[in-house]
Amino acid sequence: MTKWIAGAAVAVVLHITPTVVLVKRPDAVRTLLPGAEMFFADDIHLSDVDAHRLHEAVDWSPEDGVLTFYTGRQGARVVGSLVFVRVDTPHGPLEIAVGFKPGGAVAGVVVTKATVETKPWVLEALRAGLTDAYKGLAPGATPGGAAAIASSVAALSHYMAEQVDKGVARALAAYGAFYNHVSTAS
Amino acid sequence: MIYDLRRAAGEVKWLVTCLLATFGIAYGFGAWMVGLYAGFTPKSVAATYAEREMSMRMPPDTTMVLHHPVTLGELAAADEQHVVDRNLLVQDTHVHVPMYGVIAAALSLVVLGLAVPRWSALALITLLFAAPWLDFAGMWLTKLASPGYAVVTLLGGWAMGAGYMIVTALALWQMWKPTKGVAA
Repeated sequence: MTKWIAGAAVAVVLHITPTVVLVKRPDAVRTLLPGAEMFFADDIHLSDVDAHRLHEAVDWSPEDGVLTFYTGRQGARVVGSLVFVRVDTPHGPLEIAVGFKPGGAVAGVVVTKATVETKPWVLEALRAGLTDAYKGLAPGATPGGAAAIASSVAALSHYMAEQVDKGVARALAAYGAFYNHVSTAS
Repeated sequence: MIYDLRRAAGEVKWLVTCLLATFGIAYGFGAWMVGLYAGFTPKSVAATYAEREMSMRMPPDTTMVLHHPVTLGELAAADEQHVVDRNLLVQDTHVHVPMYGVIAAALSLVVLGLAVPRWSALALITLLFAAPWLDFAGMWLTKLASPGYAVVTLLGGWAMGAGYMIVTALALWQMWKPTKGVAA
């Protein structure tokens, strides 16, 4: 009884926007970097100038000013890379994983996290083929996933698709501006 | 005071009872949700709200990269801990503080109808409003100052739970206690 009362007491003060894992990160990595056996992280610590440049481009700054790209290798061969991007919406955060081929084109997009509230809207957008529209996009391109499914989903699902577009745009901008373009210090 | 729940009309007593019951249900499910996403210990609350530990606290003069191997297990760890970063806490504060003010005000209105000494009513009202202040102060201090301040958030939780329990117990007792010679 005491435990329940304590739990209730604590509960009323912890205000959390509960996220729902749609696809676990390791599963997203396996999907976007198929066959990769070794993984490396590149933590790109942005200078103030570069962080401002990215913010000007896509109205976004990564958490703590650090972009992290993950690269998958199969032996000496680079399979590709990916980045996890979060988009904050009024209905809670959304996280997507954007995978890139070694040449820089988008290999695929996986929505990894949504919220209890947005999950059904996101799933409807995904069922309508949202992520198909992103394949092959290169840095500089404008994602148009939401427009591609506009006629086949409800308004809130279309809204979430626009948020995914926003995340892909951020990933493209970050990849184009910073990945493989900076000095490396291990 | 004219407003006295002991002598209120039956429909007013029923309204107050339904309001308190609804808050009770919300708090119960709140406990469930917190158990799922944040936990009930200072350590787990700190893990939810504390700023992520980075090897560099200040932006470097020029952008640079730290290259290191990772395992899928390390990537999986990010799925297990729900983290509220600064931007999300800004959003949560903006959304939740007004609602908790409304809840504290509703419970305070119940307090005004209780037959308690004036100082007790003032203390209860202060407790009801101070609880969310402590709650969010704890979250922000945990994020900006030290993970040790997670206990302030837990203290706020205890304060809010205690406030609700005291108001509910007093209100239900004073409204519905059997009266001699009168049918309940």
